[in-house]
Amino acid sequence: MTDTEIMVGSGMKVSVSRDELVQKLSIVSRAVSTRTTVLVLGGILLRAENGELSLAATDMELSLRTTLDAQVDGEGAVVVPGKMLVELARLLPDEDVVIEHRAEEGVVRVDSGAYSSRLHTYNVEDFPRLPEIGAVGTFSVDKDALLDTVSRVSRSASRDESRPVLTGILARFEAGKLVMAATDSYRLSVKETPMEGEAPELEAIIPARALTEVTRIASAADTLELGVQENQVVFVAGGVTLTTRRIEGQFPNYRQLIPESYEQVVTLPRNDVLEVVRRVGVMAQRNSPIRLRFTEGELTVSAQTQDVGESHESLPVGYVGEPMEIGFNADYLRDGFESVTGDDAEFKLISPLRPAVIQGESDDFTYLVMPIRLPST
Amino acid sequence: MEATILHADLDSFYASVEQRDEPRLRGRPVIVGAGVVLAASYEAKAFGVRTPMPLGRARRLCPQAVVVPPRMAAYSEASKAAYRVFDDMCPFVEGLSIDEAFLDVRGMRRIAGEPVEIAERLRCAVRERVGLPITVGVARTKFLAKVASAVAKPDGLLLVPPDLELEFLHPLPVESLWGVGAVTAEKLRGRGIRTVGQLARVPEEALEAMLGRAQGRHLHALAHNRDPRPVNPRRRRRSIGSQRALGRSPKSPSELDTVAVGLVDRVTRRMRRAGRVGRTVVLRLRFDDFSRATRSHTLPRPTAHTGTILDTTRELLASAMPTIEREGVTLVGISVANLDDDGVLQLVLPLEGHDGVALDEALDEIRERFGQSAVVRAVLLGRDHGLSVPLLPD
Repeated sequence: MTDTEIMVGSGMKVSVSRDELVQKLSIVSRAVSTRTTVLVLGGILLRAENGELSLAATDMELSLRTTLDAQVDGEGAVVVPGKMLVELARLLPDEDVVIEHRAEEGVVRVDSGAYSSRLHTYNVEDFPRLPEIGAVGTFSVDKDALLDTVSRVSRSASRDESRPVLTGILARFEAGKLVMAATDSYRLSVKETPMEGEAPELEAIIPARALTEVTRIASAADTLELGVQENQVVFVAGGVTLTTRRIEGQFPNYRQLIPESYEQVVTLPRNDVLEVVRRVGVMAQRNSPIRLRFTEGELTVSAQTQDVGESHESLPVGYVGEPMEIGFNADYLRDGFESVTGDDAEFKLISPLRPAVIQGESDDFTYLVMPIRLPST
Repeated sequence: MEATILHADLDSFYASVEQRDEPRLRGRPVIVGAGVVLAASYEAKAFGVRTPMPLGRARRLCPQAVVVPPRMAAYSEASKAAYRVFDDMCPFVEGLSIDEAFLDVRGMRRIAGEPVEIAERLRCAVRERVGLPITVGVARTKFLAKVASAVAKPDGLLLVPPDLELEFLHPLPVESLWGVGAVTAEKLRGRGIRTVGQLARVPEEALEAMLGRAQGRHLHALAHNRDPRPVNPRRRRRSIGSQRALGRSPKSPSELDTVAVGLVDRVTRRMRRAGRVGRTVVLRLRFDDFSRATRSHTLPRPTAHTGTILDTTRELLASAMPTIEREGVTLVGISVANLDDDGVLQLVLPLEGHDGVALDEALDEIRERFGQSAVVRAVLLGRDHGLSVPLLPD
């Protein structure tokens, strides 16, 4: 490298480790927008200052930021096409990577070993301003409790954008506990988890997708910090900062959805039933239901799809009373038995047209699922 | 292959029913209208009156025309009577709309005579039993039969013999083809293509480049007289929808919402009555300049639930609001596609505090017993419900 080249570069210039770059890029790239309408949202913001290179990406709903050690030869910021940078970083030949912004040429040079490339950039001024973390008061939360709670309820959240509230998880921090609820209007998951720490009272509907990302960034971290600022919720874990939009609106009053009494409470061997539901459910294709037929002492699970096939399997259960047949979406039923814990699961029923509830060893988790109406019922 | 497909099309249907029921209207230009022209008698069409022209403009074109409000119940009755004649005549009837149908009379020669004879008998029977003029086109394909009836109108009969199909088709203007409206016709005219014959000489690739892949292929096939679709009497609906023409004055978002509420109510009720559920909600808009736009959203599971479909419709409407404000909307249509039978139905949690399905069912039952307006949403109170356009059974 010649002296003249150093003189030309008045913008950002950093040397970083490839492996660390790849690892940090893979974290923030999950907030890179996949929609192409606003180009700059497909970019990753690189900012070099104080011996660090910080990376940031946002799709306007979710943002992710982190930093890595860098030798900073020039401070500054630039936005680089995200997908391309991620793909490129993985393939670089040498452990040392030099990234240099040449503002006058409108490019970023990425050099590693004998490899050299020039990427076109986006305008830094077009990149959305992300909430200042320093200004947000964060408090430390019980990481394991929060992650466990998210993992138990998140699959009941809706992926259908036409009802935004249902794509979120209702999170309520109360004295000594955390309550989360999610529903896609076909099933409902509610989990209460005792929680240690100083968490203040707080209730927010947080996009399920953001909480899934929180699980990803926090699972290997020691601590998890949480803060709320206007319509944003902030999580900090393992040197990564995640901000997400709060979902506006009224979460359904889920408590009134849970029946107060049941006609039947059947105790089922959780693992056995789960296996049976998985096996038999293979034949429940398209919108075909999986059927549970309860008779004295026996449960028969069956599924049938026209032009595909049929399967059934019975297992002994402690059922007493009139035979009852009830249909479910096979995936919803499987999700229910997967999200409860313990050797036994309680299956609570009212009628083939009323919601059923699955509960595990403790009653702090409730999975409620609506049946599929069968032609004969 | 011989020409056995009949396209039977009632002439100026609504207007003819009015002339049938009111002798003073016979022989006079008659316009059935409500804001826009819904139908015009041939006497009025002679003055240039067309559907869906605004009524004011139609009146200026034809000041002596008698304008009557629509009587949908009478049209529905007349349509049923005409379909009874079709069904008596032939077992293969495919309804296209309230006033037109395809009939396939293949294999009926020995019991009923030549297709043209059957067509003539059909015309007489509709005239005698329903009191309405009808035009029948007879051809080897559905497409040609439909073109033939359009050419033979009004009160006519036209056979396209299989060996003269191209001679019949090629001199016709491109507008005769299914799928060629004013915009496409204009595009084609810009390239010097006016007749079907000229269109047939354009290579398929060139047409695709000009009009897009699907339409290019479609028109190329039609111009070469390729239409393999059989008459399908059991054809099931692939969507259930309803639409409402609005005046040209600007509409506030709340007025549009009210229109949407009315349409969704009607559509979901029809779905439930037909025992169908659907996943894709489609919003259709027509703007002041007659351009159109379509927005759709596919739900995770099929439903006939009014609340769910209304929520989706409102989202679609909101997303189209900038265009509506810019262009001015003149027609709103809502349909639900991706239909399925409701035999097995995923039940829904009563998130709004009540079971929406039970509410739907109760309202349906009340309307079935006491009439459409026995129970009305507050926003629709005292409003004209729009025309309940009669439709084929779902």
